[in-house]
Amino acid sequence: MGAGLSMTRDGGVLEPLLATDPVVGELDELQFSLGEGPSCDAMALGSPVLGSDLAGVAAGRRWPAFASAATERGVRGLFVFPVGAGAAKLGVLSVYRRQAGPLRPAQATDGLVFADAVFVLSLDHRHGISADLDEVIDTAFTARRAEVHQAAGLVAAQQSISVTNALARLRAHAYSSGLPLHRIAAAVMAGSLRLDSDHDGQMKEED
Amino acid sequence: MSASDRRVREVFIELSDTLVDDFDIIEFLDRLAARCSELLDVSACGILLADHHGALNLVAASTEQARLVELAQLQNHEGPCLDAYATGHPVQHSDLSAPGQPWPRFSAAAVEAGYLSVQALPMRLRDSVLGAVNLLSEAAGRPLTDDTIALGQALADAATIGIVHQRAQVRQEIVTEQLQSALNSRILIEQAKGFLTHSLGVGVDEAFGALRAYARTNNRRLTDVANDVVEGRLTLPTRSDAPPA
Repeated sequence: MGAGLSMTRDGGVLEPLLATDPVVGELDELQFSLGEGPSCDAMALGSPVLGSDLAGVAAGRRWPAFASAATERGVRGLFVFPVGAGAAKLGVLSVYRRQAGPLRPAQATDGLVFADAVFVLSLDHRHGISADLDEVIDTAFTARRAEVHQAAGLVAAQQSISVTNALARLRAHAYSSGLPLHRIAAAVMAGSLRLDSDHDGQMKEED
Repeated sequence: MSASDRRVREVFIELSDTLVDDFDIIEFLDRLAARCSELLDVSACGILLADHHGALNLVAASTEQARLVELAQLQNHEGPCLDAYATGHPVQHSDLSAPGQPWPRFSAAAVEAGYLSVQALPMRLRDSVLGAVNLLSEAAGRPLTDDTIALGQALADAATIGIVHQRAQVRQEIVTEQLQSALNSRILIEQAKGFLTHSLGVGVDEAFGALRAYARTNNRRLTDVANDVVEGRLTLPTRSDAPPA
């Protein structure tokens, strides 16, 4: 029936940002005011929460107030995909359905890929980057590699910034230099590249 | 019962114990990788899980060597794990330095890292394959016996059960949730490792050692400790007794 996007400012409270349907907006909002629901769980766990039957016993036990509110509005399915990676938690993508039943595996994969694309777009937004969609999807793919996250952790410690901002900075540097993200990350880990905090996206070659 | 049979039993009891405790997927897989390398008498063991982009990600390893990660990355293009994942069958090669390699780039990188033979076992769950267990040996020309492969497959199945976190009648949704949770936990660990390389002034292997030592000493989940580290809520002591990389 529709989808919603809720985002947080630096790991705080989730705020509904977009909803394709008024009921979606209302139910997203309701979860955050109740402090309960699949979106809250997906945000906390950092993994998708796939609620295939909100009228079922398991959902009623897990989210008593939200499950009954959703069922009253004729909503039976809620599938939530986190927008983030590790400690970088930006928000959640919620997909609502009137019928009960699981998503097909390909639909669940689509949800995960869309959430990854939103993740990269939001990181880029922090540095005013507007990459084309192919590049965003490509980055979403490489953004899961181990060295990218090691480098984000290193930059976070070095500059006393959040992991989210460190990832955004790495991505900005990759975008402005035209080099792939994993190469930038490898150079940061090897100590041959230092991202300067005073000049975002600028690079200081050391030794 | 021979000494090694007894050890196998001990390992399976240890692994099933982990399942009932306050469960930490990365800690569990890490322990499993270490036990695989011990019981199967191989030099290194890595556990790779496929993400929703179809890429194999290293989620645990018996040794936190950067070269293992590199080999894992390479396997997104070619290699035994990719084949085991794609076909759902075990793959092995007993001499990576011989001419006419099925995966020339993987073999060259493995040999350079000191590994001469390789086995990959699929992590199967009913009709789907979640990833693969990679076994690397420094010795060539020693194909694993059928018994050893059967034991390896039992350990790979234990890893699958650990990830899915239950044995029977698993719904696909739960598999997706748990798989993503394991992948995300690993990302958090990598972020914490990077953070610690800077704050402790150590290499990534030692950073992971410090993280794990703190979690074990304080009886906390590895992922919780990693989260506190990157959020700046916890400063870890430098370990002078950390094992060399």
